[in-house]
Amino acid sequence: MSGGNVVMGVALLTWGLLFYYLVRIERRVKELEKR
Amino acid sequence: MIWRGLLLVWIAGWIAAAFLWAPLVPVLGETTRVLYFHIPAAWVTVLALAWSMLHSALYLAKRDLRHDDHAAAAAELGLLFCVVATASGSLWAKAMWGSYWNWDPRETSIFFLLLIYAAYLALRSSIDQEERRARLAAVYSVVAFVAVPFLIFVVPRIYFTLHPDPLINPRGRVDMDPRIRVVFFALLAGFTGLFYWVLGLRVRVARLERRLQSDLEAT
Repeated sequence: MSGGNVVMGVALLTWGLLFYYLVRIERRVKELEKR
Repeated sequence: MIWRGLLLVWIAGWIAAAFLWAPLVPVLGETTRVLYFHIPAAWVTVLALAWSMLHSALYLAKRDLRHDDHAAAAAELGLLFCVVATASGSLWAKAMWGSYWNWDPRETSIFFLLLIYAAYLALRSSIDQEERRARLAAVYSVVAFVAVPFLIFVVPRIYFTLHPDPLINPRGRVDMDPRIRVVFFALLAGFTGLFYWVLGLRVRVARLERRLQSDLEAT
């Protein structure tokens, strides 16, 4: 596996984790807004 | 929720395209890919600080705290993206120019921007009374933004710089390989979408905090 593919994998994983984190925050905010 | 899914696929797809489809610039080599993250981060910094200034001015005109929420959230995000642009630029500088920091006009400008907006957040955190905090922060934000176009657009064009030509060069053209240009502008749009998503979340959290505060004061 080339170095470029490793960096791409890390970039995609980072973006995926950030996205998941933001979606979780959004769900929590929605719950709190409903209370 | 659909547009968030589109944003996920959009950014992931263009990240993959940056590595698998867009060519490398011969002078930059493998570091070409930093371009797709460094400049969009710097662009979002300017956008966020302009958004903060706009809502600060609206707060001063209307005295509506919802504008203060937007101004504060945008300044926080502007500072965050400014740190991302500085860190990615510093790593790029080490690879290309041999040193993490060279006091190049753009580096000096972004350093001052970091200081100016860190001071904005320090000012906000030092005032407890909500209306007073909003008013003083709004005045500071409007005055501080005067420095932004000067530092970002004017200073680097006056002095000798290690940086390449601005994106839109003096001949009014964008000199990039067509595939690099497509990936670059697609990620610029992706970063902008990400900024507005996080901004919306931060504003909603600020409103929840205010509601909680007023509930606590009522009990």
